[in-house]
Amino acid sequence: MPTLTINGRSMSVDAANDTPLLWAIREQLQMTGTKFGCGAGLCGACTVHVNGEAVRSCQTMVGDVAGKKITTIEGLSAKGDHPLQKAWIAEQVPQCGYCQSGQIMQAASLLAKNSNPTKEEVVAHMDGNLCRCMTYSRIQKAIMRAATEMRTASAAGNERRPT
Amino acid sequence: MNKHVKNVTPETTDFSRRSFLVGTAATGLVLGYAGVPGVGEALAAAPANFEPSVWYSISPEGLVTVTCGKADMGQHIASTMAQIVCEELGAKWSDMRVNLASNDPKFNDPVLGAQITGGSWSTMMNFEAMSRAGAAGRMALTEGAAAAMGLPPYFKDELVVRDSMVTHPKSKKSMSFADIVKSGKATKTFTPDELKAIKLKTPDQYTMIGVSVPQIDIPSKTNGTAKYGIDVMIPGMAYGAVVTPPVRYGATVKSVDDSDAKKVPGFIKAVTLDDKTQTTTGWVVAVASTYANAKKAAAALKIAYDGGPNAKLSSQSLLDEAKRLQGLDDSGQFFVKDGDVSAALGSAAKVLEAEYTTSINIHAPMEPMNATAEFKGDILHIYSGNQFATRSGAIAAGAAGIDPKFVVMHQMWLGGGFGRRLDADMMVPAVQAAKAVGKPVKVIYTRENDMTMDFSRPLTYQKVKAGVDGDGKLVALSHDVVSAWPTQRWGIPDFLSPSVDKKGPLDAFTVNGSDFFYTVPNHNVRAIKNEMAHNATPSGQLRSVAPGWTFWAVESMIDEIAAATGKDPAQFRISLLDGAGKNDGGAQRLRNTLLAAMGLAGYGTKKLPKGEGMGVACVSSQERATASWTACVAHVAVAPSGEVTVKKLTVATDVGTQVHPDNIRAQVEGAALWGLSLAMHEKATLKDGGIEQTNFDSYRPLRMSQMPEVAVAVIANGEKATGVGEPAVTVVAPAIGNAIFNASGARVRALPITAEAVKGAMKA
Repeated sequence: MPTLTINGRSMSVDAANDTPLLWAIREQLQMTGTKFGCGAGLCGACTVHVNGEAVRSCQTMVGDVAGKKITTIEGLSAKGDHPLQKAWIAEQVPQCGYCQSGQIMQAASLLAKNSNPTKEEVVAHMDGNLCRCMTYSRIQKAIMRAATEMRTASAAGNERRPT
Repeated sequence: MNKHVKNVTPETTDFSRRSFLVGTAATGLVLGYAGVPGVGEALAAAPANFEPSVWYSISPEGLVTVTCGKADMGQHIASTMAQIVCEELGAKWSDMRVNLASNDPKFNDPVLGAQITGGSWSTMMNFEAMSRAGAAGRMALTEGAAAAMGLPPYFKDELVVRDSMVTHPKSKKSMSFADIVKSGKATKTFTPDELKAIKLKTPDQYTMIGVSVPQIDIPSKTNGTAKYGIDVMIPGMAYGAVVTPPVRYGATVKSVDDSDAKKVPGFIKAVTLDDKTQTTTGWVVAVASTYANAKKAAAALKIAYDGGPNAKLSSQSLLDEAKRLQGLDDSGQFFVKDGDVSAALGSAAKVLEAEYTTSINIHAPMEPMNATAEFKGDILHIYSGNQFATRSGAIAAGAAGIDPKFVVMHQMWLGGGFGRRLDADMMVPAVQAAKAVGKPVKVIYTRENDMTMDFSRPLTYQKVKAGVDGDGKLVALSHDVVSAWPTQRWGIPDFLSPSVDKKGPLDAFTVNGSDFFYTVPNHNVRAIKNEMAHNATPSGQLRSVAPGWTFWAVESMIDEIAAATGKDPAQFRISLLDGAGKNDGGAQRLRNTLLAAMGLAGYGTKKLPKGEGMGVACVSSQERATASWTACVAHVAVAPSGEVTVKKLTVATDVGTQVHPDNIRAQVEGAALWGLSLAMHEKATLKDGGIEQTNFDSYRPLRMSQMPEVAVAVIANGEKATGVGEPAVTVVAPAIGNAIFNASGARVRALPITAEAVKGAMKA
């Protein structure tokens, strides 16, 4: 029985090694924030982090991620208050909301490396994530808002800057 | 006009069969219309048995929970209903909660008399009922507070209700809603006449309507906690993976060999559907302990099919048949028949003739179709996000072989609807699998099932002839619309419309929009059913339905006439929107909306470089009776290769009254981008009776990198609130087509627009 480290906890799943991580997370662990969209890595709804990288959990097999650090939308922040989640609410991004866990996880992997992305970098990073409600412009705005907040927060943590 | 939307004016909203109940119990205050027997008894029953059974309840903690009878597919309608109640009730927004209704008829739409969500109807048709429900609650709470404060009843007019508090300024007494509910003093009941007599707020008194309050559902959609149908978990349930035949409709299963499937761990059974509702044909469900195992088992099944009568059909066959039918004089039925079109065409100085087509399109909401079925005693429970609980419950019952009254539909958040979840096909495999294996079963479509078994937007073929007189005035228009009939498929007579020529009912969901607000003295519209397409590609309602293709034809042709008569296409439209006769009111609103879009886009004032152009279109979807007024200016660049870049879409929409300005902008922008996606990116094709596109690699909705700038202007002029979820879908394609013509002289008449078609039209 493979053991997965998800959101800081170690959990064993009753699933064969060739089971897509997506279904182990959703059915075995009953964390349903990660969504099934296409089963082929074409839409991004199932995006989670493996060792900090955004991956499509429908294309990632359970056997390949044993011992690696997996983060899902449920584990992105303690209280749903990651700067991206706050920005998603501030910009009122979601419509149906189904793709948004994947959008947020995809965006989080960008901001973790680059908290000052250009619009082009955002588009290039997010283009694999479909939103059928077409909330793209709000997604962009929310990412920029969160990036600003992250930069401000880290600046405040380092030194006081004249305003 | 369609029968089902006859009664949209507030005066005719049917309160006669309902009485308004306000009662208290230790569990809270419940308010709503009791349209079914038993509610009175429920109110009288012991608190422990008490269930909120109507539009909203107030708990002893002061939380106001509104039950939304509409499907929430991202248009935030649940939050909107709460907002309308909140306005009249006088509650604090942070006290509002929402709950999704079951299929109990008491949650039926007050105008439509059924649970169905579509047509951009919800706000328009529920505004009045929710307002009265809220106002009645405020009155009951006020009287209750007066009693609890020991004030004589005539003091009630001195009480002020605000932010979930009832205050008596003179005596400086105040009570929260929570305390009033706890006091048990709110006991007022309303007769239908009293309810009708309630004086609602006037717009100048609004404090909530028109405010962009935070949508109640949004936080749960940022942290993974919002529950969609696919997220339902029932103890002991199994999973079903569907195996669908290579033919969209009409195939039968000859044999199923499950010998290899039996080797899959957790495999339970392969169930061949016996679908007496005829929603599906030739489907098999592989049931297993997990979805991953169910998919493996499904892949291991060896199934032999008889492809049935449609197995050789292609998109080309459907188009050829459409052209054949259009060529026959006695095809179809008339939806519009004004004046004498053939005489007017005969005497016209100039006659233009053109064919317009649209391809098969797939809804493809991000949440693939799914349903969970559980038999508990005599009751069948269905968990699924669905737009048409009234009909879908009946389909589920039909699949189970039981009476629909024994089906309970548990509504979930919809991971996209767009009309797809008006259908109930996903219920059938869930129900029959659950019955066959004696366990609850959750069936989830693969994306491939979802794409190839969509109730798609039909392939359409339209032929338009226009006659102009010597002064360049449009005097005659003949418009034939040939397509599958999506709504006739439902088998509900009320959703069909009588034909003008009394040749029996027609499906107005194939021709709506063609009865436009332009003044054309001689005007025919013929609705022609393409029986071959109807059978081979059972069609559905895709966001805005008919106006998605009728305005493509009408708004392109209007442009073609303007070009042929040397007129500016926007000014030509304005001249046709003169508000004569039956078009009075609507035409002027549409004209104003067009002017707003032109102004915002800089139409006619901006100097554009060579190869760029602007095009306009204006529409009034969905039905004439439920129109929102929407105009678009598209700005495009066309390369010599025919490659089109949409640089900007400017959309103006007149919504009458805006409940939630930010949500309107979100809906209009999303709808406009849907329109762009359908115009430029999405195309499905039929080959050998099957849909060829199976996933997002071959069926390609718009992605972030393909998004142009979108500017939205919302006109709120104080008229009744109208819907905004759909109209902008329909206006974009013709605006782009017209912009391409303006930029390059190339006229395109087929959707989606391709570079090859543009280049081809340039040469011509």
